[in-house]
Amino acid sequence: MTCRPLLGLVIALAAPAAAAPDLSADALLRDHLWREVRLAAPARRPKVGLVLSAGSLRGVAHVGVIKVLTDAGFPVDVVAGTSIGAVIGSLYAGGLPPQRLWNIASTVNIGSGSDLSSRSFIALLLYDRLLSSENTERLVNKELGGMRFDQTKKPFACVAMDVYTGEAIIFRDGELAPAVRASMNLPGIFRPLEYRHRYLVDGGVVDYIPVDAARLLGAVWTLASVTENDFTAARPKNVLDSLEQVIDIRGSYLSRDQRKQADFLIEPPVGDIGIFDAKRVPEALEKGVIAASKRVLAAKESLILASLPLLAGDWVAPETPW
Amino acid sequence: MRRAASALLILTLTAGPARAWRLWGEPSDKKIRPVQELSDARRPAEVVAALTPQFIQTLRGTDLRQAYILMGDNLDRLSRPDEALAYYQLGAGLFPKNVDLLTRLGSILHRSGLDERAKTAFLTALRFEPRHWGAHLGLAEISAALGFPDRAAEHYEIALETISERADVWSDYAAVLLASGETKTAELSLGRALALEPRDPAAMVLMAFVLRARGDHAGAILRLDAALAHGGGAGARRAKALWLLEAGRDAEADAEAVKVLASAPDDAAALWVRARAHLAAGHAIKAYDDLTRAAREDANLSFSARAARTLRARLKDLEDRRFAQSHRP
Repeated sequence: MTCRPLLGLVIALAAPAAAAPDLSADALLRDHLWREVRLAAPARRPKVGLVLSAGSLRGVAHVGVIKVLTDAGFPVDVVAGTSIGAVIGSLYAGGLPPQRLWNIASTVNIGSGSDLSSRSFIALLLYDRLLSSENTERLVNKELGGMRFDQTKKPFACVAMDVYTGEAIIFRDGELAPAVRASMNLPGIFRPLEYRHRYLVDGGVVDYIPVDAARLLGAVWTLASVTENDFTAARPKNVLDSLEQVIDIRGSYLSRDQRKQADFLIEPPVGDIGIFDAKRVPEALEKGVIAASKRVLAAKESLILASLPLLAGDWVAPETPW
Repeated sequence: MRRAASALLILTLTAGPARAWRLWGEPSDKKIRPVQELSDARRPAEVVAALTPQFIQTLRGTDLRQAYILMGDNLDRLSRPDEALAYYQLGAGLFPKNVDLLTRLGSILHRSGLDERAKTAFLTALRFEPRHWGAHLGLAEISAALGFPDRAAEHYEIALETISERADVWSDYAAVLLASGETKTAELSLGRALALEPRDPAAMVLMAFVLRARGDHAGAILRLDAALAHGGGAGARRAKALWLLEAGRDAEADAEAVKVLASAPDDAAALWVRARAHLAAGHAIKAYDDLTRAAREDANLSFSARAARTLRARLKDLEDRRFAQSHRP
């Protein structure tokens, strides 16, 4: 006796075949209008801004979000990011394809952004000798070859904070790599970066979801990928954990208001992944893809509805009598 | 001493099968065969009635494993998937290396939306049979559903090595290739599906989507015509109306929309097509009326209704502006 024929039955009974396209009125109209949006001249749709939040290693989920948006043909005109969002955003705006971003993110660890070694880590805990975030600058320079803001494929901005004034500094010109480094210069762990007469730390402290930076670049419709921490699930066990907790709580308070400014949110469920949890980077990448895949149709609908008033200009005959 | 006892047991099992099977149960399928025949005859209620807990308790080995499979399969046929899942789980617990049970377990977990657990079951099955087509098919569906069409394509490729005669799987493979932007390979894959089932309207419609993605709009519309000729249904006609509009063939689009509306007067997509055709012809009032119908005030959550409302509001805005301009002193 064999089980094979029955197996065919079970498989045939399985979830509806992926092959059958959705031919409902909603699905077909969305598909049709999405094509119109993609083919429209830039003036016939709102300028789209991709906003990548802070969130330390959790933020590699942004790469999964970018992959899904790219596969869906989502138009992205400008990019803004804070902290890890600045690193990923700069590489994406600089022209790296999603697969390259994925490969870089897959090999990331806390040392990728810092000079972390056992000796420097002990020094960090015992003395006031913070780590250096220069590896971030090296990574961006290596991948983009010393690119400047005005040389990126898509306009890009990133945010850091001046610790002397408490101001959010939005970088959108000059050298790319030092600005990105400043943007993810975690306070209390990395030494503040002296750059352009300012003393800079991580922008996540003041601008967790930099929708304002995207708007400054001209974005009218913004999609934000948010990798916020679920700090209620964490119980700090040491000094670094406590610091992480405080930063995350601050970030959550900030993002509470900032998320309202975005036109569309994608929130990969990576809240339980810690700042230094490099082992869970592959999981974060996958969660980015899964979260974005679940939301991409709704994102398309939102952008279509925002574009319709502009598209309609082409559809109405000029001398239409009323 | 233990080694000697173990050797004696092995000797007993090999040299005296009749006595051994009293210890471990029969390896044959004699007891389950009549129930299997009921299942093959598609009599699920009788299968479930025959496989009482008392009867199952008397079974061993192959019989027992098959009993769990038959219970799961036939409970599923009776639309009792939760109970089917329980039997597959019990079976997989007792026979953890049985790929048929693991694959069925994965399949039903996947259908229940428990993809993480389903994935584990399929991956376990692949540990014992690395090219098991059922497990690869399950993993392909999960990968596609989670947003990994490239991974799904790899699993379909392995599954199709074994089940290359399954037209539906070639179509599923084509769908994930289309989602990955590999339209040429998708077209080839659908060619295989249509060679196996030349009259399948669903495959024809999918081929139309592939051709449209490749920029062959005329070819895509011809494929929709073919699907309609083979019973493609209202969906294919709706798509045709919209795609004719994309091709700038407004009059034909309008005619196709009218056909859709003849059977479904409130079809939002067809009303949209007709409104656009009215707009292009300069009949704004008619367009406004069609959009009002499509906007369906009672169903404000559907995308079509929201789109119709947005365009209608824009038309109203344009009208107001023109009115203001024409009355400006």
